Amino acid sequence: MTDSSDISTDRRTSTPAKRIRTLGWLLRRIGGGVFVLWMVATVIFFALRLIPGDPIDAILGGPGSQASAEAVEKIRLDYGLDQNLIVQYFLAMAKLAVADFGTSYALKIPVAPYVLTQLWSTLVLTIAALLVAWIFALGLTLATSGRGRLARAVGSGLELVAAAVPHFWLASLLIIVLSNTLHWLPPISVAGPLGLVLPVLTLALPLTGFLGQVMRESLINAYEQPFVLSARARGESEWGVRLRHVLRHAALPGISLSGWAFGSLLSGAVVVETIFARPGLGRTLLSAVSIRDIPVVTAVALLSALTFILMTIATDVVDRIVDPRLTKVSEQ
Amino acid sequence: MTEILAGRLTQPSGAPRGSRGWRRSASNLGVVFALVTLALIMVAALAPQLLTTGQPNDVAPGDAFQGPSPEHFFGTDESGRDVYTRVVFGAGNSLLIGVAATVVGLSLALLLGALGGLGNRLGDFVSTRIVEVMFALPGLLLALVFIAIAGPGVVTSTVAVGLSTAPGYARIIRSQLRSVRNAGYVEAATVLGHSRLRITLQHILPGALSPIFVLATLGVGQAIVWASSLGFLGLGVAPPAAEWGAMLSSGRTYIDVAWWLTVFPGLAIVATAASFTVLGRALNARTRQEVGK
Amino acid sequence: MSARRLLLFPLTFLASASLLSGCATAVEPATDPVAGGTLVYATGDAEPGCLDPHVGGNYPQALISAQYLESLVSKNSDGEIIPWLATEWSESDDGLSWEFTLRDDVAFTDGTAFDAEAVKVNIEHVKNPETASSTGYLAVGKIDDIEIVEPHLVRFTLSAPDSALLESLSQPWVGIQSPTALEREQAVNCESPVGTGPFVITDWVKQQSITLERNEEYNSAPADAQGSGAALLDSIEWRFIPDAATRYAALQSGDVDVIDNAQPNNISSASNDPAIDELDAPRPGAANRIELNSGKAPFDDVRVREAFIRSVDVNPGIDSLFFGTAQRSYSVLSSIEPAGISLPDEFTTDADAASALLDEAGWDTLDADGYRTKDGERLSLTFPVSTNQSIPAEQSLFEQIQASAKNVGIEIVLQPTDLSSWYGALFTNEYNLVSAPYTKVGADVLRILYHSDSIIPAPSGYYANLAQLSDPELDRILTEASETTDQTERQALYEQAQSIIIDGFYVLPLYDQQNHYLYSTSVEGFRAFPTVSTPTFYDAWLKD
Repeated sequence: MTDSSDISTDRRTSTPAKRIRTLGWLLRRIGGGVFVLWMVATVIFFALRLIPGDPIDAILGGPGSQASAEAVEKIRLDYGLDQNLIVQYFLAMAKLAVADFGTSYALKIPVAPYVLTQLWSTLVLTIAALLVAWIFALGLTLATSGRGRLARAVGSGLELVAAAVPHFWLASLLIIVLSNTLHWLPPISVAGPLGLVLPVLTLALPLTGFLGQVMRESLINAYEQPFVLSARARGESEWGVRLRHVLRHAALPGISLSGWAFGSLLSGAVVVETIFARPGLGRTLLSAVSIRDIPVVTAVALLSALTFILMTIATDVVDRIVDPRLTKVSEQ
Repeated sequence: MTEILAGRLTQPSGAPRGSRGWRRSASNLGVVFALVTLALIMVAALAPQLLTTGQPNDVAPGDAFQGPSPEHFFGTDESGRDVYTRVVFGAGNSLLIGVAATVVGLSLALLLGALGGLGNRLGDFVSTRIVEVMFALPGLLLALVFIAIAGPGVVTSTVAVGLSTAPGYARIIRSQLRSVRNAGYVEAATVLGHSRLRITLQHILPGALSPIFVLATLGVGQAIVWASSLGFLGLGVAPPAAEWGAMLSSGRTYIDVAWWLTVFPGLAIVATAASFTVLGRALNARTRQEVGK
Repeated sequence: MSARRLLLFPLTFLASASLLSGCATAVEPATDPVAGGTLVYATGDAEPGCLDPHVGGNYPQALISAQYLESLVSKNSDGEIIPWLATEWSESDDGLSWEFTLRDDVAFTDGTAFDAEAVKVNIEHVKNPETASSTGYLAVGKIDDIEIVEPHLVRFTLSAPDSALLESLSQPWVGIQSPTALEREQAVNCESPVGTGPFVITDWVKQQSITLERNEEYNSAPADAQGSGAALLDSIEWRFIPDAATRYAALQSGDVDVIDNAQPNNISSASNDPAIDELDAPRPGAANRIELNSGKAPFDDVRVREAFIRSVDVNPGIDSLFFGTAQRSYSVLSSIEPAGISLPDEFTTDADAASALLDEAGWDTLDADGYRTKDGERLSLTFPVSTNQSIPAEQSLFEQIQASAKNVGIEIVLQPTDLSSWYGALFTNEYNLVSAPYTKVGADVLRILYHSDSIIPAPSGYYANLAQLSDPELDRILTEASETTDQTERQALYEQAQSIIIDGFYVLPLYDQQNHYLYSTSVEGFRAFPTVSTPTFYDAWLKD
């Protein structure tokens, strides 16, 4: 675990050696990421074939198809569905290795461009939600900590409740209040920034609860650290202390939490996209699984795994920059 | 990453005890509320007849869509069933899913975490990779695929939610075990010549697993919210079972004529999840105080 | 466009003049139709995978293809077949040959001329196994050969007389597309099929919307349309909003002009809203019904089937759950089918009679949970429910049926699943009860649903006769009805068929296939095709 006695002796290490070590670390992380992607692809491949039902139904446009026996056989041959499962697996992995995601069974269009457009829509939503959650959480925490019992209790209570609210319930409440009653915002996702407000709020508020709670804990702990005392002794103002020292340490767990939060936002995005009629990866995934469109499900799974891995590496890099204590720890 | 989160949860802070006194009394009221709520939920789950006289599946189409009244505290639903009764009986279902999912997640996490934290380098490598893959697979996809394979229901919802939470716990358990392994008193025990098994059972496991209980309480609340979302997507328990998430989901359709169908089950979910969180954090604060320097 | 306005203006003037002269109180004259504007339509049905209804053939495809594809014939609200792309038709005496005279002044929106060649290409496309058509394929199932007699005269040769041919041809799943467009790769044609209709597809953003723009050269309106030139609307934005509550909220907020699949409680709320109107257009074919699987135990015993029907009282549930928007049906066919008969007396609820029947059938012992058993086995019925096809109100109705069945000791296990798993349960014969809608123009739907040939699965595993009704007498009647040209005889035969089906307790009818549209009062001229009740915006305009 983090051994606090390791507080930056690294500053005395020579810069080139540090750079090489960092590069090595980065390469190892990327290598690990590729391995994880491969394992994810394997798990998906076999898991999807465990689902009852013939994959050919999706290609035929649904299980209600009247397609003749010859048509069915031809499709089986064209799509390579008649071969041994292990052979199919290696073929599929080979294709994925060169980023060939194939064509959608149901929509008959190339998967990669289709999924990428959906990804863009979800990314806009989730990144906006993450940013808004951060701003709200930081604001709430800074405003209500160290200000007296009532403020703290209120802030804490709000965070608690926010984190406990299911997304679709929150969406219903927001639509009733902000759309049906006050007529401030549209209930569906329309073009332009207004259409983004309700979906983003729905995702952001529960996350604000989480982030807020974590930040509050570490903010309080950070206040009690020795370096705060020494900063105060040096004559720094209260806000100076907050911004330059405490915030940095308080933000750390929030940063690492964001990596995890991003992954969970995808799951929340499904609900938001369905309720507000937004296109996106969540909805795509939901319908693809229900009609057994294997290429699309595979692409979405890999894409979200890739995004998660990239986010993880990114947050680790940010961590290293913000808290130099970690450079030693990651060598575990 | 999550090591830091775990560290925050388990490491003692360096502050003297006295300055914490004011924080304790401030949160006492909250803890009391949480405990009372949880006690009510427990009673509802274990002995619903104490809180209500009706049955959750008593259909009465003639009484459908009635608002809250002295006879029906929370109103009636689309089939004339008493919503209050269904919320009370639903506590059992929802709590069962929440607790069971957390147990499933923790069990799997213990296995993986122990492999990583106590095993040799190979074991650590294998378990870390498995955990990373589980993390990378979106929880929703895991749930969808699993339910597509096994069909919807209480069991599949439970396992799906449990699987999604396992990697997080596994990471924490592993780092906990690792750090305790390197701690002073374990070294001392080794030097004293105690057997590995004895050291593991007597020193490492208790030290490492104490925060797990805290995490579990936090997790149960989240599992209940997750399971209700699965119910919204149509992947939850079979009708006519009273389960808060399913009630919320079907109530949403009628929101323009019967707001009570959505509000009361939703409040129940929020109250339960929030109370678990308060309890978890209070427990956390206590354990840290006890472990503190 | 201006020609259309010229036509409509005197008409509305006459209409308002006659109104004014006919009423003592002043009536507001109808305002002039205004050209222009974009109408936003939000559908709750699934987004089609392919916009060409030849491929597959489901209702979501019918909904949208009604805007850009047209059929040889249509149907008016009196139930008569009327000319559309075909102006005249005749059947040979032996019923094995039909001739259709086609319009000679119509062109597809890609410039290709509409002629007999085009019709031939289309029918062959539907029959081609590579197209994987299901609904259209069945509709033209008896057409063996298509002959181009003259450039605008086509002859169909049938394998057997088909009394339902005109009805089948009026459906959107045999809509006529440009042969030039059909030559393209299927994936390309699926994105934007080319037809003769009043609108043209210009853009498709998956999971969001399809944009359709006015066809300026349009001139092939069916005989029961109001106008005759190009449409009034500039364009239509066709949005996909699967969530019912959101869809209605969007209509209320004005972000959307027309919605389909309106939920009963929304219809009820809308009746109090002066800004929203309703169009009730039940779908043709079969009514919404529950089929009892007579192919396996326990429903292979007619007494158990009758007991089930006697034990469930669905009327109170239909009243409360559907807010009066759905009428109980006692017919196998939709109420808009002229051949339908309604037999309410066959479906009386009588719990005592049900118990007596079950006792007689050997289910006379009760287990610890109060369910009947026979030889140690519980009387348990599996009921897979497709959450895609059954709206929440219907799912709740099934829960009420479950509760009332329990009162006589019958256990019903409800299994809400997605569409694929639902079909899976059906294909593997793992169901006792099922509710499967089937939309088709005409009583010939009875043959598709209840002829024993329909128990034989297609290569994909699909079969339509879910009641697994196998009755040689019924088969004979249905085949005869399908081949007779005498309308009176046909009617009589279909009535006989329905009696057999109802008397055998194979079916529990619930209500018509619900198809309610809610629309803003700023939309005028909106109607549903009397064929399959899909919306047409040809005559529609936006009042602002």
